[in-house]
Amino acid sequence: MALSTLSGKRIAGKAVSGARPPRRVRRQLPTSPWLFAAPGLLITGVFILYPFVSTVINSFTDRRTLIPGQFVGLANFRELLHDDMFWIGLRNSTLYVLGVVPALVILPLLLALLVQKNIPGITFFRSAFYTPVVASIVVVGLIWVWLLDERGLINSLLEAVGIGRVGFLSDQWLLLLSAMAVTVWKGLGYYMIIYLAALANVPRELHEAASVDGAGAVRRFLTVTVPAVRSTMVLVGALSSVAAFKVFSEVYLMAGPSGGPAGEDTTLVMLVQRTGTGLTGRVGYASALSLVVFVVTVALMLLVLRADRREET
Amino acid sequence: MSLAEKTPPVREAPVAREPRVTDEHGRRVRVWELVLRYVLLLAVLALTVGPFVWQLSTSLKGPTEDIFSSPPKFLPSHPTLHNYKRVADTIPVWDYAFNSLKVAAANVVTNCVGSALAGYALARLRYRGRRIATLVFILAMLVPVEGIIIAQFTTMRELGLNNTLIGVVLPGCIGAMNVLLMRNAFLNLPYEIEEAAYVDGANVWQRFLRIALPSVKGTLAVVAIFAFMGAWDDFLWPLIVLSDPSKFTLTIGLNYLHGTFANDERLVAAGTVIAVAPLIALFACLQRYFFRGVGEGAVKG
Amino acid sequence: MPTSRRTFAAAALAALVLPLSACGSGNDDSGSSDASGKVEGDITFQTWNLKANFKSYFDGLIADFEKQYPGTHVKWIDQPAEGYADKISADAAGGTLPDVVNVSPDLVAPLAKAGLALDLDKAAAKYKKEYLAGAWASHQIPGMTGTYAFPWYLNTGPLFYNKSLFKKAGLDAGSPPKTYDELFADALQMAKKSDGKVATLANVPTIEDFGRYGVALMNKEGTAFTFNDAKGVQLLTKYKELYDAKALDPQALTATPESSGKKFLTEAVAMNPGSALDLGNFKKQAPNLYKNIGITDQITSTGHVNMYVMGVMVNSKTKHTPAAVAFAHYVTDAEHQMSFAKKVAIFPSTAGSLDDPYFTKEDGTDETRVRVAAAKSLKTAVNYTPVLFSEQMKTALRNEVAKALQGKESPKEALDNAVKQCNTLLAQQG
Repeated sequence: MALSTLSGKRIAGKAVSGARPPRRVRRQLPTSPWLFAAPGLLITGVFILYPFVSTVINSFTDRRTLIPGQFVGLANFRELLHDDMFWIGLRNSTLYVLGVVPALVILPLLLALLVQKNIPGITFFRSAFYTPVVASIVVVGLIWVWLLDERGLINSLLEAVGIGRVGFLSDQWLLLLSAMAVTVWKGLGYYMIIYLAALANVPRELHEAASVDGAGAVRRFLTVTVPAVRSTMVLVGALSSVAAFKVFSEVYLMAGPSGGPAGEDTTLVMLVQRTGTGLTGRVGYASALSLVVFVVTVALMLLVLRADRREET
Repeated sequence: MSLAEKTPPVREAPVAREPRVTDEHGRRVRVWELVLRYVLLLAVLALTVGPFVWQLSTSLKGPTEDIFSSPPKFLPSHPTLHNYKRVADTIPVWDYAFNSLKVAAANVVTNCVGSALAGYALARLRYRGRRIATLVFILAMLVPVEGIIIAQFTTMRELGLNNTLIGVVLPGCIGAMNVLLMRNAFLNLPYEIEEAAYVDGANVWQRFLRIALPSVKGTLAVVAIFAFMGAWDDFLWPLIVLSDPSKFTLTIGLNYLHGTFANDERLVAAGTVIAVAPLIALFACLQRYFFRGVGEGAVKG
Repeated sequence: MPTSRRTFAAAALAALVLPLSACGSGNDDSGSSDASGKVEGDITFQTWNLKANFKSYFDGLIADFEKQYPGTHVKWIDQPAEGYADKISADAAGGTLPDVVNVSPDLVAPLAKAGLALDLDKAAAKYKKEYLAGAWASHQIPGMTGTYAFPWYLNTGPLFYNKSLFKKAGLDAGSPPKTYDELFADALQMAKKSDGKVATLANVPTIEDFGRYGVALMNKEGTAFTFNDAKGVQLLTKYKELYDAKALDPQALTATPESSGKKFLTEAVAMNPGSALDLGNFKKQAPNLYKNIGITDQITSTGHVNMYVMGVMVNSKTKHTPAAVAFAHYVTDAEHQMSFAKKVAIFPSTAGSLDDPYFTKEDGTDETRVRVAAAKSLKTAVNYTPVLFSEQMKTALRNEVAKALQGKESPKEALDNAVKQCNTLLAQQG
């Protein structure tokens, strides 16, 4: 299993001797490890995994919100293959990962470096950069729709510069791009925090040594910072790709509930929501869709971790 | 938590006449670099908070101002706090905020305690099934929530916890992602420190409480913020679990400002500001800790 | 090693077994459909986003009811605007639906099919004559016998237009379009004169627009959709022409009612359907626009305008059927609907109420003029949206309409596809 790599056993070149827990720790209090993990496992089991089991069961039935289902075998999955909307959703969710993840791995790191130094007023800047994260996505959506409108602020600026108005909210591809921009904008502060915590771990001796060697800022970034926070970059990559694949709110709010012009901006989770919720929801079919989302995110996670392990060796 | 004692390591005492600007390592920052930094900071600032300034400005606009004029006016010409008073008159905003606070506080406590314990077990303790336990949390993080909400509700009803604030807190009270974040933090700590304590005869609880936990304060602060934010912003789950309006949380309550018959943008904007302000304040208070916390404690000490 | 493995197995088992049988709506505690007993007991009444503005009205109403029927206690809960269908779905699936519920016709249909709505033709037939026939019928479901909710308030409204934009385009601001042909002609001229900057319409046609245009939406039995007939194709072809000329807003394909309302407020769109309620809104939000606002009748080819209906449903599993039915009727009876209508610009669904001087006498203000005109048109108004037309069907229609407007499909193909998808969804509703 590559799971342990998610952790980042290596800190900044400083070899951690105890990459394996020492054996003798175990002899003491044999039940305590489970005692430590029990609350977390119990909550997760009862409220996440158990309901998910019912999703798995439902995916083989034709259950609707208020009507108990009959077992239908693989009918839902067969229907998926012939559902145009499913393929549109899969395409959009995949594009979302490709568009958003690189930006969310790199930009927050740069931002974290920018706010890391204790210069006057930095507390204010750090808090300010975090505001998009804490604001509710509904508000964020409203604000951006207003900004990107045909007559909104951004279009007024573009016209003033001579570029002319751009139909951010009417073209299917621009809509998807706009939603991605909002996701990145809202995620910057979130991942910045994770990076800040990791950067605080980088021993200052490394930077000092590099400075003495006469390394410039860019080289220091590439030779000291990046290796030091590499495991965090992997973590951010994994987290953001899973989140990006499951994107819902941004696209829903900007492209509308029906998913943009002719539904061309529908993402997979939007499709789950659309088909499965409400009093006429097709719970069975939506469960099958959920299951596909789940399998793809597991695969994504493994892919990121695999890439990580290969680099490491 | 004795976080107050963690002042930054000031090496060059500020005895000089001119105030000196130093970085996190106490070294002096060059002027041109400083200017560049501020320019960049201001640019990012405009991008991140600009939209909120607009919302704040709308909430301060008086009843006679046209909020849909084009080109839009950024500054209210007759600034007033009247809209905030109207929010409080329309809905019992303090009651809702108090419920949100209870839920969010409980969520912070359970997440910090539960994730720290589980994270420590996954990172530091050695036992059979450790990988399976890790896998459980990773899978849980990947489960698409949209599909399981009704099943969660029926579970909650069978436990007799629907229409209670406990029911609101429970499903997210130990978030899988927080567990993994804590695990990551514990794994990043060098083993030597705990080894030393082990040699001194400390048992697993003592090592956890006295050595490991103080070293991951930074991550703990991150978990606290995420937990608070998650509970504070959540809309659909509390809406489904709660029936009794006296138990509603702020996000649900503020939704009443979207009228059935007519929307008042100023009211909605004021509601937004009320919802966001506590989060920003909390973050401003906590951010010092995680920034200083990690790496300082155990690594140095 | 054996210890830990066993512990884990036990934990996993506990997690799986503990809340078992969560699936299925299984409610065995069925209530009685007999409403003739004594009116008593505790009931819960759920409304949809009415508390913030009408708290004192409902508090008074409930107090009066409890006084009239000693031994009853009504607990009022109000749900916010968003997520209402999700909330009702969870409650219906979990068996926690309140006794008396504020619903719209599209929510009633699936609840009735699942046996959760009380048939009022059986339980409350004696009240039927108190309501407008059309309003009573709006909670009947094709393929089922019975009526599943009391009609509550109605709403309809005029078409608002921006006089100054009309003047700028060389149109007579004093004579707004009265027929679809005039509307389309004016819209094309507006687009031409403003160089495509000002659109006249902000929304793509919905099912209700097809109905108002005179398209037969469903077959007589209510078992299949038929809006792909020649008339439907004609309407969509016309809209395509408008879209190409930018007389239909380019953002219409992604618009929501809120966003198109805002477009009217920012004067990017020249016309917008609304109701008497919007007048106050314009006055407050966009005082400049308010001075230029023109009001004209809803355009319809059938002679019947569209109306929206709210209903009050009784949960068939209620433990106190007589009290629940009595209260649902109390909320919707002529007296209480009338007093509610005077608080906010909506219209009562009870017979004769619209003849009240409040709805017939002009006093020179715009508000009254809109109210009187709406009340008059409501007597013959129709709720065009079929009760069986679910959210999923709305999306299907919307997306096919968009394909036609973009030129990816012909209007005929698009409507054929939409009808096919809707019929499939209808069959799946069971």
